[in-house]
Amino acid sequence: MKITLLKNLLMLGAFLCLGLAQAQEISGTVSDASGPLPGASVVVKGTTNGTQTDFDGNYTISGVEDGAVLAFSYIGYKGQEITVAGQSTIDVVLEEDAQALEEVVIVGYGSQQKKEITTAVTSVSSEDFNQGTVNDPTQLLQGKVAGLTIVNKGGDPNTNGTVRLRGISTIGGNQEPLVVIDGVLGGSLNNVDPNDIENITVLKDGSAAAIYGTRGSAGVILVTTKSGKVGQPLQLTYNGQFATSSIANQIDIMNAQEFLATGGNDLGSDTDWVDEVTQTGYSHVHNIAAVGGTDDVAYRVSGNFRKLDGILYNSGFKQLNARTNLTARLFDDKLKVDFNSALTRRDSKYGFNEALRYAITYNPTAPVYGKDAPFPFASSQYGGFFETLGLFDSFNPASIARQSQNDATTNTINYSMNFNYRLTDNLAANVNFATQNIKKNRSQYYPTTALYLGNAVSPTTRGLANFLTEETRFDLFEGYATYNNTIGEDISFTVTGGYSFQETDYNNVFFQLGDFPPGVSFDFRNSIESSQDLSEAGRITANSDRRDGDRIVAFFGRLNATFDDAIYLNASLRREGSSRFGSENQWGLFPAVAVGADLNKYLELDNVNLLKARIGYGVTGAIPPEVGLFATTYALNPGTSGSDGSSTGQGNRAPNPDLKWEEKAELNFGVEFATDRLSATLDLYTRNIDDFISLVNVDAALFGGIDTRYENAGQLKTNGLEFTVNYDVAKKENFSYNTGLIFSTYKTTLEKNPQGDQVIANLGSPGQNNTSVILVREGEEVGQIWGPVFTGEVDANGTPILEDVNGDGEVITDQGKALDDDVDFEVLGKGLPDFELGWTNQVTFGNWDVNAFFRGAFGHSLVNTFRAFYEPIIGSQSSYNFMNTKYARSDIKTAQFSSYYVEKADFLRLDNLSVGYNWNIDSDHIKDIRISLSGQNLFTITGYSGTDPEPVLQDFGDNNSANGEIVVTDGAVNTGTANPLAPGIDRRNSYFTQTTFTLGLNINF
Amino acid sequence: MKRLFKITFLSTLLIAFSCTDLEDELEDSFTEDKQFSNDGVSAGGGDSGGGALLAPFSRLRAGSAGNTGFFAVNSVTADDMAVTQKGGDWFDGGIWIQLHRHTYGSTHDRINELWNDSYAGIGECNTSLQSSLTPNQTAQVRALRAYFYWRLLDGFGRVKIITSPGADAPQSEREEVFEFVESELLDALGIPAVTASMDLSGSALTTDISNYRINQYAALGILAKLYLNAEVYTGTPRWEEAQWAAEYILDNSPYQLCGEGCSVPNLAKRPGVDSDPETLEGYAAVFAPNNENNPEIIWAIEYDETGAGGMNFNMMTLHGPSQLTWGLDEQPWNGFVVLEEFYNSFEEDDLRREANFLEGPQTDFNGNPLLDYAADDDDLVINYKPAINELEPNAIRDGGVRMKKFSFALFQRSNMNNDYPIVRLGDVHLMRGEALARAQGDWNLALPDVNALRDRAGLGPLTSLDADTFLAERGKEMFQESSRRIDLIRFGKYEDTWWEKTDADPAKRLFPIPQAQIDASDGTLTQNPGY
Repeated sequence: MKITLLKNLLMLGAFLCLGLAQAQEISGTVSDASGPLPGASVVVKGTTNGTQTDFDGNYTISGVEDGAVLAFSYIGYKGQEITVAGQSTIDVVLEEDAQALEEVVIVGYGSQQKKEITTAVTSVSSEDFNQGTVNDPTQLLQGKVAGLTIVNKGGDPNTNGTVRLRGISTIGGNQEPLVVIDGVLGGSLNNVDPNDIENITVLKDGSAAAIYGTRGSAGVILVTTKSGKVGQPLQLTYNGQFATSSIANQIDIMNAQEFLATGGNDLGSDTDWVDEVTQTGYSHVHNIAAVGGTDDVAYRVSGNFRKLDGILYNSGFKQLNARTNLTARLFDDKLKVDFNSALTRRDSKYGFNEALRYAITYNPTAPVYGKDAPFPFASSQYGGFFETLGLFDSFNPASIARQSQNDATTNTINYSMNFNYRLTDNLAANVNFATQNIKKNRSQYYPTTALYLGNAVSPTTRGLANFLTEETRFDLFEGYATYNNTIGEDISFTVTGGYSFQETDYNNVFFQLGDFPPGVSFDFRNSIESSQDLSEAGRITANSDRRDGDRIVAFFGRLNATFDDAIYLNASLRREGSSRFGSENQWGLFPAVAVGADLNKYLELDNVNLLKARIGYGVTGAIPPEVGLFATTYALNPGTSGSDGSSTGQGNRAPNPDLKWEEKAELNFGVEFATDRLSATLDLYTRNIDDFISLVNVDAALFGGIDTRYENAGQLKTNGLEFTVNYDVAKKENFSYNTGLIFSTYKTTLEKNPQGDQVIANLGSPGQNNTSVILVREGEEVGQIWGPVFTGEVDANGTPILEDVNGDGEVITDQGKALDDDVDFEVLGKGLPDFELGWTNQVTFGNWDVNAFFRGAFGHSLVNTFRAFYEPIIGSQSSYNFMNTKYARSDIKTAQFSSYYVEKADFLRLDNLSVGYNWNIDSDHIKDIRISLSGQNLFTITGYSGTDPEPVLQDFGDNNSANGEIVVTDGAVNTGTANPLAPGIDRRNSYFTQTTFTLGLNINF
Repeated sequence: MKRLFKITFLSTLLIAFSCTDLEDELEDSFTEDKQFSNDGVSAGGGDSGGGALLAPFSRLRAGSAGNTGFFAVNSVTADDMAVTQKGGDWFDGGIWIQLHRHTYGSTHDRINELWNDSYAGIGECNTSLQSSLTPNQTAQVRALRAYFYWRLLDGFGRVKIITSPGADAPQSEREEVFEFVESELLDALGIPAVTASMDLSGSALTTDISNYRINQYAALGILAKLYLNAEVYTGTPRWEEAQWAAEYILDNSPYQLCGEGCSVPNLAKRPGVDSDPETLEGYAAVFAPNNENNPEIIWAIEYDETGAGGMNFNMMTLHGPSQLTWGLDEQPWNGFVVLEEFYNSFEEDDLRREANFLEGPQTDFNGNPLLDYAADDDDLVINYKPAINELEPNAIRDGGVRMKKFSFALFQRSNMNNDYPIVRLGDVHLMRGEALARAQGDWNLALPDVNALRDRAGLGPLTSLDADTFLAERGKEMFQESSRRIDLIRFGKYEDTWWEKTDADPAKRLFPIPQAQIDASDGTLTQNPGY
């Protein structure tokens, strides 16, 4: 290496000497429309003679012969070439190049030119983002990246979507992709306002993500926020959005007349319960950003305010976010310091999804208020609301929505600092410090008059308050160095090596108490000393957790090499340790290698701009979902009466000291093709997840009655294909039309499952506990919905007659025999879609632009649990409302799971349609204005009778926790562990889907 | 300046590289290194075996008096109780119907719970035995472990006998499990065999009354139960030993039947309802929420609404609106009901009928009729009627009388306070009577014991007995005490036909070994015949 360096220097010296004779010195300024461009490159074409502009955009280059060609270039700008003809000053104004901007792609610990990328990477810039009211940055990408699935079932503004890259990436580990914000990994997307995002890059395959080791196993989402430019005058931008949301769809239920006609219990009124608990959501969003820079400093400061109402009564949030990005250069530009900070405060009102659920099942003849009850009713005890006392799982939804409170305040703070020091022209060192602190105060209040959880019926113990305080701290330190050079004419290379230290500290405190004085209209959360529970033993539930020092430490290295400017090699190695394993198994080694070739350089096809083939292989790891699974833990058993009061412990976990890294190996083959108008990318991949970490059955006799523990338990294989194509149908000055199609498909097979076949995913109560609807079987696809087949006939009792699937003359449909050879079950559908589509259309004419975006998923089915529970006309259920979908049959009088409740859920949706108009004003104060109108979720074509045909990628079980949001019921903090092996169940906790219309206003000052 | 920065910068990098500490201390879990004696046993021990024995003994609570595990599988399979499917409610994949109709298979959650709960108790005992215990504590823990193994012996027959933590053992035959349980209990009692003239002075167990711990009488009670069923377990009857074990308790122990004058305040007495009695007396007092010092109880499981939960009969059996009768903390689930024929078998003035069952129209806290606005029969008033229309799918919601033996208290939480007897003198009488009668081949020899209990129940004495009448008497006395399935098997009646049940497969006397356990055992467990 040293020798090469020396040789180069000698050669350079020789050139300079030779040229001195006729050469001259040229100087000038390179700038763009808004000012000087520092760091632009100026090269004498065909030589190695070159320089860069300084902070004022000035350059001086000597040794330039007459007739030589000077090439000016700058990343993101169209290059210019000027032939020297005696001038001593050449000033150049470079034009921005939208296409070129994309050509540098942020990858782990650095960036690469797009052509050098050898892995499956997709980059989406702000102009291609989804439009309208977008609160969760991942939704900017929904449908835009092949292989990236983002599902936000319904449209609860307080939950984030489920994000999956190429399906299941791990069983036991974290399934959400790693988020890297401005080079800082582990950040929370909730702390980035969508308005502040410049670009999002998705690293899809293993070889791309391997540099991030563990945390990249589920893919990596790299977010680049907007930043300032050196030397740019202060510029102000305002973005505003004003939106209304209303229910797009809900499952069909009976109205009062239909309900009575089927023999429902008449309570004398006619109530539209959905109407009682929903509202039209009005929202507004404001973003103001100031961008600018001086000679050494560039900055961008932005403030965001969002106020959103959900369609559920009393739900929504208010959010304030401030972001500062600062870049400073010191020591002759050798040192670059980036300082970014973001603060978010969100006040959420969750409302109660239970209100939506009970609105569906509550008797439509029941009155809202007790005064309208058909019999004497003690209204005042229930806050004036009516209740069907004594009926299992039946609560007046209006009472829940209007009387109880469900709030949270979340404060998120991020600071990050990056020091980049150019030690020599070839060697640079980087140090990253970042810290993130998320503090969440969650509380729920059920007044003494609330029947649901407030226990208003009780003569003694009424009212309930829950408090949960959580704090998550994340610290990151990373240091790495980059060395680049060339070997001879044809080889250039970059070597990166570094170290990463990540620590997460988590703690929470929960407590629950109640029994507040009745008859006082007061939010007793603010005066819990009034609780009667304080005076009675065992009435208060309190618990706390602390998990500090959850660490990941890693060493990594990478080599990027380019041969002949056409063949690219990327190889990386990461050795990573996690504190979640026992001391023998902490470290794992994760290699990756990828090569790509610009074939067109050799084939030189006509009209083809790009033809690249690439292949990559990478291994990433996943860690267990909890800390300390290697150790036995005990439940402390405090002494009770009759004992001497001393404490003892009972083992409460079957430990696994041998638990080791779950490994995912992925092979990706891709082809990229582009002509002037057409561009296309095809990726094929196969991934193997070995030793996946999963909760498996163990011999209870050996583990003190505990029959499950986490083990490295099997192997999953996924094969997939992704295809993206873009075509410029028209490309004229006043009219352009671009259309793009994204297609992705994958199939995941359970290759090995040592613990044997299983049925999982219990439907739940009422009455369908021990009814598991998903089959897990070795050698077969993941996500098969499994159950008996409805013949279409019903017997005299109204019990559906099930099919003798295997034709042995005996119908065996006992859930307990679900895995027996002679059971009459079959695969009733697939939880995961066969393929997903996104179809983009962008039209501009004059100052107008129109965007239409369609999205669809095909081949998947959903278990419609609302129907399975509430559609059969069960005599004893005549006090609950019945579903009234197109499948409803008055002759089915027994609720039993069968193929009848599994529906195909293919859909095509007009996800987004927006129209915009741009004025170029160019006045002293206002440069331009843009006004747009967007509609989101405008229509859906589907045969599915439930609320939303969107696939359900994982199962949280039958509780009220949608999307894993923490729910506090009966004293337990339930974080809802998601099971990726059980997709396809549409649980009863869904939020209704909504249609949103947004008026957008954008002003550049 | 620049150089200084360069040096600082590089050295920061170097320092960072040296940090590879991955030790994780679990702050919120109790691990062995937390000054927490790793055997789960506290230092003290105490006179009543308090702290030292707490961990293993508190394992008894799971599944013994709730809708899961041991209680559920021994009760719902019998001819006195059922869990009816009320429309969509309580179908639960058919598991309750399977228990009732004896069509259960090897993936039944309630049966799995019996397995896991038992091994959880055994595991805790094994851990406890690793530590330094007094001889008395050791004897108690071994006897307790034997009791857990008795549950496995009775339910599954062929199980692994694990006697130290984590050490695997082969699956034993049922006879071997029987011998193990027998020898452990005999060891605890310090005798080689149960005889008519045994001397327990060598036993490490005491004779002190200690409801929640095992004394000599408790150990003998379990032995009596073991011998009484020996023919079922091994094919060889051991009637005499059963008789002697029971007789020893009756002759030597300080326990008494709780009869006239043995009473406790009625915690379910509603202040405004005069018809609610002030006290509970006799049989009813044995199972009341305040039964902790009842003279009839030899060994019981301690349940408490705070800190010792697990008994939830109120939730299991009562219909939702019954919450308002006693001002219960939570709305009950309306599951378990009593079969009509069994209820009707009680004589009208049998005090146990009133004590065992909740029947007829219900009233609220103030004594006014309790209404069900969502009633599915024509009557708005909640009325627990003996007749049930069907087991499934649409059983009437207030059909079937409800179990109330472990009676309720005003403002009761979902966890009840009643202690649940494992060995009580009433049962000992019945075991002695039956063993004696069977040993001598004359059922009339059981008359004194049976009549003692009939007398306490306010009934006149019987003058003659046969197997069927004895079983009926035993059924009335032992209702809701997880005894009926075992009794039916011993009397050869488990295969009989009763309401909504016709299965007659004798293989069902044993439960299937959980399939998940067989799968997880690497071939060391095999299934019972018939599954």
